[in-house]
Amino acid sequence: MSDPAEVEHRRQALRDLSRRGFLTTTAAGATAIAADMGHINALQSEAVTKQLKQNDTRVILLWLAGGASQFETWDPKPGAKTGGPFRAIPTNANGVHISELLPQLAKRMQHTAVIRSLNTRIADHGGGASLMETGRVRDPGLDFPDLGAVVARELGRLDSQVPDYVSLYTSTEGRRKGTSGVLGSRYAPMFLSDNMIPLNLAQLDAVSSVDHEDRAALRDVFARKFSKNRSSAAVDSHMSAYQRVRGLMASEQLFNVENEPAEVRARYGPTQFGEQCLIARRLVEAGVPFVKVARAWWDSHGQNFETHQELCADLDHTMSVLLDDLSERGLLENTLIITLGEFGRTPRINASLGRDHFANAWSCSLSGHGIRGGSVYGKTDPEGNTVVDGEASAADLFATVLQALGIDHEHEYMVGARPIPMADFGSSPINDVLA
Amino acid sequence: MDEIDTSANTPVAKSAAEPAISSVKIARSFSLPGAVFCVAGGCLPSQLYFGSSEFGVYRVDSDAEKPEPTAVSDSKHSSYVTGLVRIGDALISGSYDGSLIWWDASTGDVRHRVNSAHDKWIRQIAISPDGSTVASVGDDMKTRVWNAETADSIAAWDGYELMTPHGYPSMLYAVAFSPDGKWLATGNRTGKVLIRNAATGGVEATLETPVMYTWDPKARRHSIGGIRSLSFSSDSQLLAVGGMGVVVNIDHLGGASRIEVFNWQSGEKKFEIEDTKFKGLVEQLQFGPDDKWLVAAGGDNGGFVSVYEGAAGTLLAQEKTPMHVFDFQLSADGSTLRAVGFEQASVVDIA
Repeated sequence: MSDPAEVEHRRQALRDLSRRGFLTTTAAGATAIAADMGHINALQSEAVTKQLKQNDTRVILLWLAGGASQFETWDPKPGAKTGGPFRAIPTNANGVHISELLPQLAKRMQHTAVIRSLNTRIADHGGGASLMETGRVRDPGLDFPDLGAVVARELGRLDSQVPDYVSLYTSTEGRRKGTSGVLGSRYAPMFLSDNMIPLNLAQLDAVSSVDHEDRAALRDVFARKFSKNRSSAAVDSHMSAYQRVRGLMASEQLFNVENEPAEVRARYGPTQFGEQCLIARRLVEAGVPFVKVARAWWDSHGQNFETHQELCADLDHTMSVLLDDLSERGLLENTLIITLGEFGRTPRINASLGRDHFANAWSCSLSGHGIRGGSVYGKTDPEGNTVVDGEASAADLFATVLQALGIDHEHEYMVGARPIPMADFGSSPINDVLA
Repeated sequence: MDEIDTSANTPVAKSAAEPAISSVKIARSFSLPGAVFCVAGGCLPSQLYFGSSEFGVYRVDSDAEKPEPTAVSDSKHSSYVTGLVRIGDALISGSYDGSLIWWDASTGDVRHRVNSAHDKWIRQIAISPDGSTVASVGDDMKTRVWNAETADSIAAWDGYELMTPHGYPSMLYAVAFSPDGKWLATGNRTGKVLIRNAATGGVEATLETPVMYTWDPKARRHSIGGIRSLSFSSDSQLLAVGGMGVVVNIDHLGGASRIEVFNWQSGEKKFEIEDTKFKGLVEQLQFGPDDKWLVAAGGDNGGFVSVYEGAAGTLLAQEKTPMHVFDFQLSADGSTLRAVGFEQASVVDIA
C-alpha cells in the first residue's frame, strides 16, 4: 500500500508538469502513478521529460524601449560613413565582432546569438512596439496577446503560486503595460510601473498570519462541505483562486532586492536597471515563466553616441552579470534572455549627432535556453541601409523564440471560430540560431 | 616659423575703438564632408584646417570660388577627429580613437603619434598662448599636457569623477588656456569646471554649472548636456562657460543655449544667458576685442551664431546658420567668423 502522502506528492509533481499536458493527455503517466511506479520512473518518459523541461523554461525580455542603435550594439560598421565613432571589438565567438560599447558581453558570446537582419518596416514607436511585442501587425478584429502572455499561458502552471508574467517599466516614456488580449486577464502581466514591489500584496497589519491561516482553513472547510456531493468547476476555480492569491502574497518578497546578499546587489550595480534585472533573476528562480524588464529610453534623435555610452554601459554590465548569475545558479540553460526594442536606428547621423527611427535593417539578440551561442544570423550591407542576407520579420522572430522554448509556433488559438497561429501566418523559425 | 595659431579659445588682440555690434550676417556657406568638429586657422585668414567624422585632417580655402577640401595626409585617425590646433607648420589633432597626431601641415608627414594619449575619447585640445604646450581632455576624465614640439608627456591630472552621480560614464568635454598662459580651465558632463595652475596642475578654483547637465530620472532615465566650451577674457579674469540649459525631452537638443560668465577667482557669477530663440549646445564661444562682446555658436538640428555684450550678456545680434556649428575661428579684428559644423562651413561677417 502506498503512503498517501507520497501519492499526493507524486500527484502534485504531475500537476506541476502541465495544465495541458500530462494528466489529461498522457494516459501512461496517470497509469504510472496509479501503478506506483514512483516519481522518477514516471518522469523518464521522453515526452514527460520534454514537458518538464519546457515547464522549467523561463524568459527574461530586456526591452530596449525607444529603439537601440544596431550600429552601437550588435551590428557595428566601423569606418563606414554611417558607422559612427565606435570601434568593433572581437568576441569570444570566432569571427564575431560587436560594438566596443559592449565589452563584457563580448566575453560572453558563447551564450548569445545575434540576428542582424530584422526588417520590420514599422518605424513609429506605438506601431513598432505592438509589432515586436505580438509578432504581427495590429488587426482591429483581433486582440492578440503579446509574447509575455503567450509564454505565460504555454509555460505557466494553473496552480502556480507565483505570477506568470511580470512586467517592470518604471520610466514613463513609451510605457506600455502589455496585453494578454484574447487569452484573458489570467495571463495579463503583473505590471510594475511606480514601485518595484507590487502594491496591495502585503498582508494587512490588522490581520495576523494566524488569523490569515485560520480564515483560509475555515474557508476550506466550508468549501469542502459544499462540494462534498457536488462536482463543481466553480468551486475548484474558487479554491484555485484563493490558493493563487495566497501564493502571490507570499511572492511579495521576491520583489525585494534587500533580501539579496549585499555582494550580489553590488554585483548588479547601483542603477535601476541593475536592480530590476536582479528582481528578474529572483522571479525566474522562483518559477515565474516570463519577466519583462523595460530599459527606457533609447530614442536618441540627438546625441546618439553619448546616449549609447550611458545606456550601453548599463546594458553591458547588467546583462553580463545576469548571464553570469543565471549560469552560476544553473538557470541559464533553462532561461532565454532576449534584447529587443521596437526598431533600430537610422544609418544616417543627423546634425544633432543623433540617429532617427529605422526598422528596415536592425538587430536583436537571444541568449541562453535553446540558443546556439556565438552564432550570427543575417547580414546588412556595408553601410547598414538594407538587409542583404537572411531577412527576418517580426513573425519570424516570434516563431524563433517560441521554437527555442519548445512551443510549436504553428499551434493555433481558436478565437471564436477563427484559428490564429501563435506566430503569424507564413513565419518560420530561424533555425540557424537555435541549439 | 609661421605665426602661432590663435586658437578658438584665445581672445583676439585688443583694438583701440571697438564699434558696437549690430549685425551678424552669413556672407557665404559651402559644403564640407561629414560632421566637422574642429577647425584651426592657416597662415592666411581664409585658409582653414579642419578635422571631421571622416577621420582625417583637411584643408580648405574659405575664400575660394568653389572651396574644395583636400586631405592634409593620406594617413588618418581611426575615429572622429575632434581637436585640432596649429603651431607654425605643424598641426596637432586629437581623436575619439584616443590618439594625438602631429602633422606637417605642408607635406602631411606624421611627425609624432601618441596612440594612447587618452584611454577614452579625446574631446578637445588647446594650445598655450606661447605655443609651447598642448592640453588635451578626454573621457578617461584626465587632463594631459604635452610638449607641443616633441610630443613628450608633461603632466596628467585627475580631479573628476569617472562616473556621473547616477552611475553612468562621465565625459570631459572642454579645455582652454587663459591668455596669460597661467591658467587652464576644463569642464565636464555634469557641469563642473576646474581652473588649474597651468604649470603645476594645482586646482585654483572650482565652479559648478549644474544647469548644463540634465538628468531625467523619470521619463527617459539618462542624461544630456555638459560643458562644451570655455573662454577666458583677455585679462584672464573672466571665464565664460558654454552648454545647454534644462532639457525637457532629452531625445533632442531642446534646451536653451546657455552661457554662464564667472569672475572665476572669486567664484562670482557675473551673468548668465539663456537663449530660447536658438536652442541647443553652445559648442564654442570667445570674447571679442577688449572683451566688449562675446560670440557663441552651436545649435540643435540647426545652428546659430550669437553675439552678446561682454559686461552683462545683452544680446547684440544673432543669425541662424545653415548647420549645427561645432567650432569657429574668429579673425584678429573680430570682423569675420569662420564657422564649421555639420556638413557645411559658413563665413560670418560681424559688424
